Amino acid sequence: MIKAILIFNNHGKPRLAKFFTHYNEDEQQQIIRETFHLVSKRDDNVCNFLEGGTLIGGADYRLVYRHYATLYFVFCVDSSESELGILDLIQVFVETLDKCFENVCELDLIFHIDKVHYILGELVMGGMVLETNMTEILTRIEEQNKIEKQEAGISAAPARAAAAVKNINLPNISTSNIHLPNLPSFK
Amino acid sequence: MPAVRGEGMRGLAVFISDIRNCKSKEAEVKRINKELANIRSKFKGDKTLDGYQKKKYVCKLLFIFLLGHDIDFGHMEAVNLLSSNRYTEKQIGYLFISVLVNENSDMMRLVTENLKTDLSSRNPININLALHCIANIGSKAMAEALGGEIPKLLVSSETIDQVKQSSSLCLLRLYRTSPEAIPKGDWQNRVIHLLNDQHMGVVTAASSLIHDLALTSTDDYKLAVGLSVSRLSRIVTSSYTDLQDYTYYFVPAPWLAVKLLRLLQLFPPPDDPAVRGRLNECLETILNKAQEPPKSKKVQHSNSKNAVLFEAINLIIHHDSEPNLLVRACNQLGQFLQHRETNLRYLALESMCHLASSEFSREAVKKHLETVVNALKTERDVSVRQRAVDLLYAMCDKSNADEIVGEMLDYLETADYSIREEMVLKVAILSEKFAVDYTWYVDTILNLIRIAGDYVSEEVWYRVIQIVINREDVQGYAAKTVFEALQAPACHENMVKVGGYILGEFGNLIAGDPRSNPLVQFNLLHSKFHLCSASTRGLLLSTYIKFINLFPEIKPTIQEVLKNDNQLRNADAELQQRAVEYLKLSVISSADILATVLEEMPPFPERESSLLAKLKKKTGEAAGTNDEKEAGKEKKEKKAQPLPAAIEINNVGESSTDEVAAAPPSLSMDLLGLDTTPASQPTVTSLFETPAVPAVNNVGLFTNPPPAANGGLLDVFDPSPVASDTGALTPGAEENFKKFICKNNGVLFENDLLQIGVKGEYRTNLGRLGLFYGNKTSFQFSNFSSTVSCPAELQPLLKITAEPVGSVVEAGAQVQQMVQLECVQEFEEAPILHVKFSTSANQEEAERSGSGWGSGGTGTMQFINLKLPVMISNFFSGAAMTSDEFFTRWKQLSLPQQEAQNIFQATTSMDTEADKSKLVGFGLTLLTDVDPNPDNFVGAGIIHTQEAKIGCLLRLEPSKNAKMYRLTLRTSKQLVSKRLCELLSSQF
Repeated sequence: MIKAILIFNNHGKPRLAKFFTHYNEDEQQQIIRETFHLVSKRDDNVCNFLEGGTLIGGADYRLVYRHYATLYFVFCVDSSESELGILDLIQVFVETLDKCFENVCELDLIFHIDKVHYILGELVMGGMVLETNMTEILTRIEEQNKIEKQEAGISAAPARAAAAVKNINLPNISTSNIHLPNLPSFK
Repeated sequence: MPAVRGEGMRGLAVFISDIRNCKSKEAEVKRINKELANIRSKFKGDKTLDGYQKKKYVCKLLFIFLLGHDIDFGHMEAVNLLSSNRYTEKQIGYLFISVLVNENSDMMRLVTENLKTDLSSRNPININLALHCIANIGSKAMAEALGGEIPKLLVSSETIDQVKQSSSLCLLRLYRTSPEAIPKGDWQNRVIHLLNDQHMGVVTAASSLIHDLALTSTDDYKLAVGLSVSRLSRIVTSSYTDLQDYTYYFVPAPWLAVKLLRLLQLFPPPDDPAVRGRLNECLETILNKAQEPPKSKKVQHSNSKNAVLFEAINLIIHHDSEPNLLVRACNQLGQFLQHRETNLRYLALESMCHLASSEFSREAVKKHLETVVNALKTERDVSVRQRAVDLLYAMCDKSNADEIVGEMLDYLETADYSIREEMVLKVAILSEKFAVDYTWYVDTILNLIRIAGDYVSEEVWYRVIQIVINREDVQGYAAKTVFEALQAPACHENMVKVGGYILGEFGNLIAGDPRSNPLVQFNLLHSKFHLCSASTRGLLLSTYIKFINLFPEIKPTIQEVLKNDNQLRNADAELQQRAVEYLKLSVISSADILATVLEEMPPFPERESSLLAKLKKKTGEAAGTNDEKEAGKEKKEKKAQPLPAAIEINNVGESSTDEVAAAPPSLSMDLLGLDTTPASQPTVTSLFETPAVPAVNNVGLFTNPPPAANGGLLDVFDPSPVASDTGALTPGAEENFKKFICKNNGVLFENDLLQIGVKGEYRTNLGRLGLFYGNKTSFQFSNFSSTVSCPAELQPLLKITAEPVGSVVEAGAQVQQMVQLECVQEFEEAPILHVKFSTSANQEEAERSGSGWGSGGTGTMQFINLKLPVMISNFFSGAAMTSDEFFTRWKQLSLPQQEAQNIFQATTSMDTEADKSKLVGFGLTLLTDVDPNPDNFVGAGIIHTQEAKIGCLLRLEPSKNAKMYRLTLRTSKQLVSKRLCELLSSQF
């Protein structure tokens, strides 16, 4: 089972934290820090698995992680999961994000945290893999978007109008894209 | 597809940008607090917020929470969002709840109400939202409130695929949290058939669910084997175009294949030859595919292909029945060991560890020794090196121990700090386990201390000393080697400890050589003295007093050292006391007395190496609770008070020094872990506890039980045999006692001289024991006596009369003694059997036989003190009852004090038949068809005492996967439940 899914950037700033076992706020932050500490000191081309830190359950749990440009995606899993399978799942997750956000970057995760949660919810549920077929996942996200648009059409029209008028420029922060195809090619 | 972004909330975006623009942590906190205040006032304000606003604020709170700030409001607003009829509002409400709300919150009741409504909604989207929320929180309360609904959804024919998928996983989560909350029923069978479902997503989810359901009752889900195999076969043999969207980088449905292979690992190899054949075909196909050229250069392709391959190999290892497949698996892993992908090398090393334990592939694994050693030396990643260490440990046997241990020692010099301690333990265990020649063992351990002294735990050096003491052939060599090792200018403190101990015991063996004459030995040790910690100094002081005994010629030199103010007035009370006592001992006692007190250590009883336990603990530690560590800490704090030095003279324990020192002097044998002190044992007078220098006359080193003790030192050394009976249990007594928990007849004690057999018969609260004493020697035992005593607490509870026996046992003869028992009331302790006799055997033989403190002379007196195997469970009679009766009574005994439960690691092979016979031997009637899980044992019995009859109910639940047992006992008496549970726990 997957115990936790964490995304943080190269500086350890959390971008997503999803725990499937209950921890209180403090513990959650400590786990994120500990995991960041464990993962960030590793070279980029060492193996993608390591034993979990003490807070998350120690050697009985594995951290399976991938590092994309500015972000670390870390899944903490127990021994009942296949490490390589989880590694692929991370890839599916990122590819899905990429499709949904068109060239996803760290900023997308920051500004659309709710959406990221929903996308993740279509992949993993209660700590177990729910769906791995990307087409299927995208269809479901698409359905959600449709409903959202319909609902927004009715109620959010005034708000959108106001937004359009006030359309100020958000401070422009340069963040490089996640660079999806950035994986070391095989052979 | 259109981007998800776009329809964002502007207020949220602005807020996030603000935060990101904050230059300092303080500014950020300030901005957040401002926002929190703003949201709070909005929530509290009179103006009703519309859905959009609520959504926006909830999103802000989520963001703030992620940054690590506690959110203590907004819960109610989130719950209100749940009942909105807009999807997006509901959705964000559920998100907030599953991320932020504690499962014990008061709010949960309201949430559960909403969940119920949504579950019964006609709209699958709402149902799915609810299912997600339940699965992500998965609390016990939810399982109880909603556990009945989910199975219905899952198997209903009207449910759409998407909901089926979610409800499988939702049910799985609730089942994990609280299996008893999920009603049993027809759905269980129907779930198995989901493996045949058209929709691959449903099959994937269902296979996860079935895996966990079958975990506890494999038999009920046997049907899943055939279905999984055929499903797997269809996946494996399909071309990558068949499964369309479920093909991932040219690999057909890798996740599902992995899940199915995992599921099959719960079951033994299929009985049906057709199914078995088909499965083997699948496994072969998977192995074959690994050899095919990759269809894509992408790492994702090889990852998913290998994920399936590794799982197939795990299944092959699990079945452990097809030598052909096992060898192929091993070769495949061998290839991976040299693969350029680090991930594969890591996994290959890990899987090989499992292969190494199969007899079919053990030899094949050993062929890769060189590669593994190479991995240990060259891998850049410490987690891979760690796996290499594990594999070396697993593949080690007599044939390659020399090489493996050598390589590990080599590597230790440069090993990562994080794995050193574990490696040290592993080296120590391997070198002991596979030592053909014990000189090699001694060399290895001394090397170990030299190379990685800091990581050598107490257990390691205790163990080397135990082995040296038990093996006469290696003692001289050990003394010589350790002497040489100590000559190094800088040697580790652990080396000094080992050196001090071994030279103290066996220094005489090398004293003949002028290069290591007594004075040289002493000077060498004493040159290290000042650099050592207090505990090592204490040990060295003990060595010095032993030297006085071994080498009377250097007595004055040593006395000078002891007299030195550095010792006699040392600020450390422990050292001061040792110095004072040893000095006095050396001054006032004769050579004979000294020789008796400081006699060579008797052999330690053979038992499992404490190192293994340590290793298990170390590897298990991380997983477990902190309780153990806490307990350890407490223990350490306790030891602070100064303790009598003399006690420790002859002791190196497996127990840590504090436990050692805590034992009363007369129980010196107790180091070995015999923890029961009979109640008749007089407690040690507290003379020792005063750190002040004791007056010479009452250095009560070995206070004796009255009337023998007059407080004087010399009394202790009175050669009369009576005085040297310490009353302590003979080593092994505790273990032997345990052998009788599940049977009434057997051998209670045996050494070179004497064998004691026991035969017991019990009826209601009465019992009769026959004790048989067999003289194994060719000479007569005289002054034979055997008596039974009860600890004070036991006396009113158990009436016991032993008939007297004759005082002579002829060579080779057997005498019998009858003991009558009557159980008055439930009891815990065991009566003690005291056997003594004198033999005309030679000194040495008597010494070996165990009661170490026996004094010299021809008629050596032997003392054996054993726990008589009489326990409350002997007064059992079985009770048969029906399932209903059982459960009625079980429920009647529901007070917490009536129940005793223990969850423990299995120490046996968990064989069902063996477990059964143990329980029957314990005295219970086993009840079948009571527990819904056929693996569990349920039993009932009645304990008869004069005062009452006590009904006892038992449930034993083995978990073969976890290698654990859970034992539950319910009786009307707290003490009985507790005692029975203790007794029985030691048997599995």
